Amino acid sequence: MGSMFRDGVWIWRGLFVLIFVALLFLRILPLPAEAGRLPGPDLLMGLCCAWVLRRPDHLPALLIAAAVLVEDMITMRPPGLWTAIMLVGTEFLRSRAAFSRELTLLSEWFMVAVVMLAMMLAYRIALTLTMLPQPGLGMTLIQYLFSVLTYPLVVAALRLALGLRKPATGEVDALGRRL
Amino acid sequence: MARDRDPQEYARPVRRILVGVLIVLLLGLFLLWRVDSPRVERFRMALIDRVVPGMDWAMAPVTWVAGVAGGFQSYSRIHEQNQELRRELQQMKAWREAAIQLEQTNAKLLDLNQVRLDPKLTHVTGVVLADSGSPFRQSVLLNVGERDGIRDGWATMDGLGVVGRISGVGRSVSRVVLLTDASSRVPVTVQPSGQRAILSGDNSPLPPLDFLEKTDVVRPGDRVVTSGDGGVFPPGLLVGQVVQGSDRRLRVAPSADYLRLEFLRVLRSHEAERIGDPGTLIPLPGGLPPVADGEAARGRASDG
Repeated sequence: MGSMFRDGVWIWRGLFVLIFVALLFLRILPLPAEAGRLPGPDLLMGLCCAWVLRRPDHLPALLIAAAVLVEDMITMRPPGLWTAIMLVGTEFLRSRAAFSRELTLLSEWFMVAVVMLAMMLAYRIALTLTMLPQPGLGMTLIQYLFSVLTYPLVVAALRLALGLRKPATGEVDALGRRL
Repeated sequence: MARDRDPQEYARPVRRILVGVLIVLLLGLFLLWRVDSPRVERFRMALIDRVVPGMDWAMAPVTWVAGVAGGFQSYSRIHEQNQELRRELQQMKAWREAAIQLEQTNAKLLDLNQVRLDPKLTHVTGVVLADSGSPFRQSVLLNVGERDGIRDGWATMDGLGVVGRISGVGRSVSRVVLLTDASSRVPVTVQPSGQRAILSGDNSPLPPLDFLEKTDVVRPGDRVVTSGDGGVFPPGLLVGQVVQGSDRRLRVAPSADYLRLEFLRVLRSHEAERIGDPGTLIPLPGGLPPVADGEAARGRASDG
């Protein structure tokens, strides 16, 4: 039982949930919103990508799935589809977390941008295949651009505000296992 | 026995299978929603019903601060606004006089002709709780729901014009899909010419008019009201004015102030009575029960 609390991993998970709730909260504030305004970045996507590349052990797949599914439900998206795509995307990044340790921020940014593009395209293709109405391509691209542009800011915020960074080579956890 | 092995080595394939199962489950949920969406939507409303009112206490101060900031910006042009309002008020007074006279004439004429009009619509007023939408979905949540007798499909207005229709009712919240949402379709009439059209939202602030029969008799500036076709909305509710978009398409500028959606009226529409059976030449022996039934139903609807 003690291993569950090693390294305060549950505190980090709690922090993630807190940030998620705050993002969702800002999203649904009843502030005047006109139709046709520019869509903002998908910050949850950037947050999940950045966090999973830094400390994959903090964000189990189940937590990501639960958070995105709740967002799907509250923001009236088709439930489950974006969650599944996010899960595939973050699993892809998770399997490359060790490899990305040697990357500079620039090349990591490029990798994340490609993964985000693949996710957006997969979402659009799935919506087309199931004959669901979807927002215009221009709107989606603008949202994608904003999401990519804000990624370094998300990384910086994680680093400066939470002190979350990639583990250094040879760093061990409390039980002496390699990270 | 596995002393010299890292336990994570076994965990990895198991984990991969579990993630695969999770992804399949999520896609299954999506397909279930696609096939049988009412059930999943009901679950969604139940979830929102649980979550959003709980956030209300935190939302109120943030919204208030944002409102104060917005108000502060408008102080700079308060003099201009004041002048503008005075001018408008003067015009309104003239109109009010005309309206009162017309109302009296109308009442007299109605009385002379013994016209039976639709009974007045009653309404429930709700406060906008949350903007439950993304840049791509235009909808708001109201703090009235099933316990206030709200039903799916009812029209929602602000003080002046139609805002949207109820789509999704929880116990204490309901969702209003705005006219600007891409999935909104409302049958309307363009006023002086009486042309019927469909107002179909397309995620822009000015939704276009579709299926107009004669576009040349419709001019920018014409009034647009609901036509009541299809029995979804009561007829004659003000929607907005015709404008011509930059793409030469006829669009509608809604009368409702979409930037200040705070209190919304949900109109209690009574069920449209249907005439199901074909008329019979020989009356039933027991008098005319269908008429009595209809009267009773109307009475009930206006009570409730």
